[in-house]
Amino acid sequence: MDAEETIISKEDLERLLDVDKLKYCNECGICTASCAIAELLEEDYNPRRLLEKIFLNPNNVLASDELWLCAWCYSCYRHCPQALKLPEIFLFMRKSATEHGLMQPLEKALKKIVENVPLPLVTTFVCFHPDRAGLEMEKISEKIERMREEYLKKEKRKRTVKTSGEKIAIIGSGPAGLTVAYESSRKGYGVTIFEALSEPGGMLGKCIPKYRLPKHVLTKEIEFIKNLGVEIRTSVKVGKDLDFKDLWKKGYKAIFVGTGVHKSQKLKIEGRDLKDVVHALDFLWKVNSDKKTEVGRNVVVIGGGNVAIDAAETAIRLGAEEVTILYRRSKEEMPANPWEIKEAEHEGVKIEFLVAPKKILEDNGNVYAVECVRMQLSELDETGRRKPIPIVGSEFIRETDMIILAIGEAPDLEFLPKEIELNENGTIWVNPITMETSLRGVFAGGDVVTGPATVIEAIRDGKRVAESVENYLKSLAG
Amino acid sequence: MSEKQESKPQNGGEEIRIGVYVCHCGLNIAGSVDCDEVAKFAATLPNVVLAKDNRYTCSDQGQEIMKSDIREQKLNRVVVASCSPRLHESTFRKACEEAGLNKYLFEMANIREHCSWVHLHDREAATEKAKDLVKMAVAKVALLQPAEEVEVPINRKTLVIGGGVAGIQASLDLADTGYKVYLVEKEPSIGGMMARIDKTFPTMDCSICILAPKMSDVLHHPNIELLTNSEVVEVKGYVGNFQAKVLKKPRYVTKDCSACNDCTEVCPIIAPNEFDVGLDIRHAIYTPFAQAVPSTYTIDMNLCLNKDNVIVCDKCIKACERQAINFEMKPENVELEIGTIIVAIGADVFDPSVLPNYGYGRHTNVITSLEFERLINAGGPSGGHLIRPSDMQVPKRVAFVQCVGSRTDRNGRLYCSNVCCMNTIKDSLLIKEHWPETEIYVFYVDIRAHGKGFEDLYKRARKEGVKFIRGLPAKILEDKKTHNLWLIGENTLQKELYKMNVDMAVLSIGLEPRRNSEIVQRLLTLSRTQDGFFMEAHPKLRPVDAATGGMFFAGCAEAPKDIKDSVTQASAAAARAGILMAKGKVTVEAITPISYPEKCKACGLCTKVCPYNAITLDKELQQIKIVEAACGGCGTCAAECPFGALTQSHFTDEQILAQIDAVTEYDSEKKIVAFCCNWCAYAGADFAGVNRMQYPPNVRIIRTMCSGRVAPKFVERAFARGASVVLVAGCHPGDCHYINANNHTKDRVERLWKKMEQSGLDKERLQLLWASAAEGERFASKIREIQTIIKRVTPEEIHKAKRVFEKALEGV
Amino acid sequence: MPERIRHAPLGNKKVKQPNAEVHIITDQCKGCGFCIKFCPKKVLEESQEINARGVHPPKILDESKCIICSFCTAVCPDFAIFVVEKPCKEERHIKHD
Ligand SMILES: Cc1cc2nc3c(=O)[nH]c(=O)nc-3n(C[C@H](O)[C@H](O)[C@H](O)COP(=O)(O)OP(=O)(O)OC[C@H]3O[C@@H](n4cnc5c(N)ncnc54)[C@H](O)[C@@H]3O)c2cc1C
Ligand SMILES: Cc1cc2nc3c(=O)[nH]c(=O)nc-3n(C[C@H](O)[C@H](O)[C@H](O)COP(=O)(O)OP(=O)(O)OC[C@H]3O[C@@H](n4cnc5c(N)ncnc54)[C@H](O)[C@@H]3O)c2cc1C
Ligand code: SF4
Ligand code: SF4
Ligand code: SF4
Ligand code: SF4
Repeated sequence: MDAEETIISKEDLERLLDVDKLKYCNECGICTASCAIAELLEEDYNPRRLLEKIFLNPNNVLASDELWLCAWCYSCYRHCPQALKLPEIFLFMRKSATEHGLMQPLEKALKKIVENVPLPLVTTFVCFHPDRAGLEMEKISEKIERMREEYLKKEKRKRTVKTSGEKIAIIGSGPAGLTVAYESSRKGYGVTIFEALSEPGGMLGKCIPKYRLPKHVLTKEIEFIKNLGVEIRTSVKVGKDLDFKDLWKKGYKAIFVGTGVHKSQKLKIEGRDLKDVVHALDFLWKVNSDKKTEVGRNVVVIGGGNVAIDAAETAIRLGAEEVTILYRRSKEEMPANPWEIKEAEHEGVKIEFLVAPKKILEDNGNVYAVECVRMQLSELDETGRRKPIPIVGSEFIRETDMIILAIGEAPDLEFLPKEIELNENGTIWVNPITMETSLRGVFAGGDVVTGPATVIEAIRDGKRVAESVENYLKSLAG
Repeated sequence: MSEKQESKPQNGGEEIRIGVYVCHCGLNIAGSVDCDEVAKFAATLPNVVLAKDNRYTCSDQGQEIMKSDIREQKLNRVVVASCSPRLHESTFRKACEEAGLNKYLFEMANIREHCSWVHLHDREAATEKAKDLVKMAVAKVALLQPAEEVEVPINRKTLVIGGGVAGIQASLDLADTGYKVYLVEKEPSIGGMMARIDKTFPTMDCSICILAPKMSDVLHHPNIELLTNSEVVEVKGYVGNFQAKVLKKPRYVTKDCSACNDCTEVCPIIAPNEFDVGLDIRHAIYTPFAQAVPSTYTIDMNLCLNKDNVIVCDKCIKACERQAINFEMKPENVELEIGTIIVAIGADVFDPSVLPNYGYGRHTNVITSLEFERLINAGGPSGGHLIRPSDMQVPKRVAFVQCVGSRTDRNGRLYCSNVCCMNTIKDSLLIKEHWPETEIYVFYVDIRAHGKGFEDLYKRARKEGVKFIRGLPAKILEDKKTHNLWLIGENTLQKELYKMNVDMAVLSIGLEPRRNSEIVQRLLTLSRTQDGFFMEAHPKLRPVDAATGGMFFAGCAEAPKDIKDSVTQASAAAARAGILMAKGKVTVEAITPISYPEKCKACGLCTKVCPYNAITLDKELQQIKIVEAACGGCGTCAAECPFGALTQSHFTDEQILAQIDAVTEYDSEKKIVAFCCNWCAYAGADFAGVNRMQYPPNVRIIRTMCSGRVAPKFVERAFARGASVVLVAGCHPGDCHYINANNHTKDRVERLWKKMEQSGLDKERLQLLWASAAEGERFASKIREIQTIIKRVTPEEIHKAKRVFEKALEGV
Repeated sequence: MPERIRHAPLGNKKVKQPNAEVHIITDQCKGCGFCIKFCPKKVLEESQEINARGVHPPKILDESKCIICSFCTAVCPDFAIFVVEKPCKEERHIKHD
């Protein structure tokens, strides 16, 4: 290629390649195998191959729609033996493409998303993130809606839905449940979603901050699914209002459990029950339900996941003057997505590493400080992480008037029949291929299986489930 | 500095005649340094009577020129500006000697590793730096004194640490040559890793069948003394004359044991057998495996019921007809006098339980390649029947996953472990041999079959129907009901995802440095590379020598390798040790202390800092006494003496001060004066050069043997002469080549910091760096980092320091 | 050997394990507690019962752990405890805890 034709400057590229060690990819394919999009769009997307293309000739990649399909889940990064941050490498390319007005590929990508990803609007906001390359989201979401209508019209003409009488019950209306509903109803099954809360959408509505996902986007998405004929019964908590037996009795032939992880883990330290100590999910929920939420002046968030980051950012947006995240390991170990960490720091959130709380100090029932201890990391443990060990005598006091706890969430699965086996960490065990639980006819997916993950992974699970439910129901029919 | 300065007669009237040779080293130096200009510059320096540049000074031709110049031009000092003295100092010293010049009248300027290679893109600055380096060498060489080396006899005995195949081979070779060998093994039996594996690639020999005869030869060789269950706890001395202490742990079973196994039958204690990675059991009294050498059983006191000399259980005592059990045995301290040491402690295997995606430790049927070796071994826990742990059935589909823990930047090692590819191929063939119907899948990224006969073996595996799939699984998931496994990954050649269902998965784990290598490193003051394996003196030309004289490496201790390479290296190490011992004597470098009794106030400070106790104070005579043969040559005593009554020969105060003065003659406020110890920091800077790590050219390195030689007055002199930053660099604490001399470095630097602080100086201007010989990047980034300090050092600050340290300008 | 052990022994080997019967002559015990203290496998513990001599004699906590070393018999000053070996019905598969 001629020098003139080169769009990406050699220096930029060198910097990118060096910084991200891109040259060290040894083509093991682990990224592709752990990528949800690579499964959803197997024909069209392969992060390893995309990386190789960038390595061989970055300019060619600018014109490829693949560039816009990465869903920023960082699953590849978490698995890659070379710890390559693929989404950030792709972002660099996306930016170059935008700068040079190469928007055709984005259109193509959106079309593929509309046709293959059940919640195209939502995922564009919380996964695909064209905004990070400097694009306007409103325009894109309008475009998506138009594309979806066209696609449906085309599809309706093409196929005649065979209505088999079977009914499927879906517990939980998060992205996993909605995906199963969308796919199954298009296959012609009768679908009912049971949702414990008064609003459908799961985490999408309950906790994901509105600045990430505007309310109207979610509403549109849900309306669309309802219009397909899916029945959503809100304020019905399975286990309380009705149980598995009732579902079987009502004639549901298969049940999908997509109840997510909503139980905040408890911090075992003194002072956790004070009124200025809140759990991140409760905090975010309250903010999202438009209730007036008071936020401290000097907020401390404890934890290191995406939830901690979102809670911290939300606190800043609500007017907290200072927000500090305390995390007990180091930056490399932080489970939050590296990009989100970067963004939060940009917003003014401070993060202190290798610090753990020991005791919350009160004055007349009001929190005024937290006693912390510095940590050091041990050798690698079973989970592939270094265990933090307190450094004796390194205690210090940090003033604060509000503490948000975001130390992890676990599923609440009391309502499940005993036959359904769980994993060591409390999530549901499923056959990894069919997503069937150890109880015949019951399937599970989303966070309740993977533990806290991302929307796109929940959707991937949902799609897998819809397929195996179909196989299962067909096998029942004989 | 253009005019030729007058040569002054020195050293008792003898005229100093210095010859300077500036080497191009092909384009290695000439590529970024103007050698001609440097030579012209050298000619202007005091006492220099001749300065030449030539293409390869180290070539025969180059040396001939030097020799004839020495003879014809009556040179009595020589400077070669070329590569690192660590590489060619001995070459040139020899040439000097051949021309009749005492070899201690020679000095090198390192303008390659420390200059041309690290400033590839700044010819001008590199040339200026080269001039400075030459000037420093010339200043030093003028003050050098002829010296004679002391010869000390060598102890013709060798200590071999580690009884794996490498240690065994080295011991046998040396013993056969006629030297006495002490073989120290920390386990109850020798054999190492090779005793645990089933067959060996590429020949598919039975491993223990070829090893056992050698093990038994070791036991019966009259020249070998085998110390098992033992560990080296202390090593003192120097090449040819080491003293080692070995702690021999009691076996509680005497040599009368006939290995009848009657005792284990009655022992009530059961524990996993480590030799079988816990897949089999053993008792408190046991032998790790049937062919163990020595065959004498051992009692594991952590498990035995008899503690603290209370005989609670006497079952084995009763069962033993030969009355070989003796609970009275005590740990023994064995003291050895040896001349050479061979380190053959092998390597550990990677623990894959840190990779949660592969579920090792959680999924029963995920095993490691080492566990596989025990499973397929006829002497192993399943009697050689390949069974999977969950249900003891023969697996029908087996997957091998390559590069587990190797070639990764995350939770593993960066390097390729060298043996696992071939090991997997071997293992797959072993399965095919006995259970040909088994489906075998090997998931790999590259198959590295580089050795003799390796490719053939690989082809054979392909022919036998082993399926090779390029692309590692991202996860291994378990079916809770059947305990079968799913491997989920991408076939990167087909560019499609696979979900492979298998009965058992074998993780091909890599090799990593022994977890105890740090202890061995400290005991013997060795260096390790960034990977953690022991570092050889030169990767190409002295691959089995340690940088420390008289020590050698064999086997996986130096890097992951297969049996053949381990044995080859062991024989090489034996030969190298043998050469040294055949000579019968070594010369000790003439770098011992020189004392000026008239200045000595008998304060005894020097005796306290000497790591070798080579200086004693005679209280009556009010004098010190130096034992040269015991002196290690660090020079810490000279740095400690407050009265200038001691100095180190070849690194005298005058010589070092002359170097400092040369550096600071002009532009001192832009320069870093660096003192680097020969073994770590200087070598690390060499390493940076070899790897072409670029850093700013304003640093001038002065070499001392140990950072402990750096007297506070050197640092003060540099500041008094206006240096911007002074760097003192040595080995990491604990890695010091002179036992612990660098502890004093730290103390002295801290004292200087305090002084600077009290005088209101920026103490950051004095930097302390610990960098090993492998940490070139650490050195380079330190120099980069220092630039920000230099930027903020104002002329006032420089001036202030000059005043504070004014006193240091006095003397010499 | 330095490897961390991650798998239980395969358990296809059979090992003869002692099959003990511990006898305590309760009323002969004077409550010194030596047997409890010295038993290497912690088979015994103090009971709540009060015997003829007005002390708490030992009781058996877990007989299957006894390895018949008979150390209790040896240390008991009042010959109040002894162990006999019952015939082993079958060789047991080892289980490792
Ligand atoms: C604060 C926050 C921010 C996040 N930001 C992002 C992001 O930017 N991008 C991204 O990709 N992912 C993000 N995630 C993760 C993402 O929201 C989840 O991975 C995803 O929602 C999981 O979907 P799910 O369907 O498995 O479960 P959920 O979304 O949790 O839905 C489960 C639903 O089941 C209902 N339910 C539970 N029990 C019962 C019962 N017994 N009966 C009836 N209904 C029940 C719950 O009320 C809930 O509505 C975020 C998560 C949080 C908490
Ligand atoms: C699973 C596996 C399969 C393999 N298969 C093959 C094969 O088929 N063919 C092949 O050519 N190679 C094979 N190899 C490689 C082979 O095992 C090594 O090359 C060889 O064993 C190295 O021998 P060594 O003597 O250097 O080390 P080791 O065999 O590891 O011996 C080192 C000895 O030193 C002892 N030791 C350690 N520290 C101390 C100390 N501080 N003091 C005293 N003693 C100490 C140890 O106890 C040990 O006995 C395999 C390796 C593995 C892990
Ligand atoms: S996982 Fe990492 S090393 Fe492997 S192919 Fe993907 S980017 Fe390359
Ligand atoms: S970030 Fe997620 S979507 Fe993007 S390439 Fe990686 S795994 Fe795939
Ligand atoms: S004395 Fe120790 S080694 Fe011997 S039988 Fe008893 S427990 Fe086993
Ligand atoms: S030898 Fe093969 S399996 Fe082992 S690290 Fe090297 S490439 Fe990977």
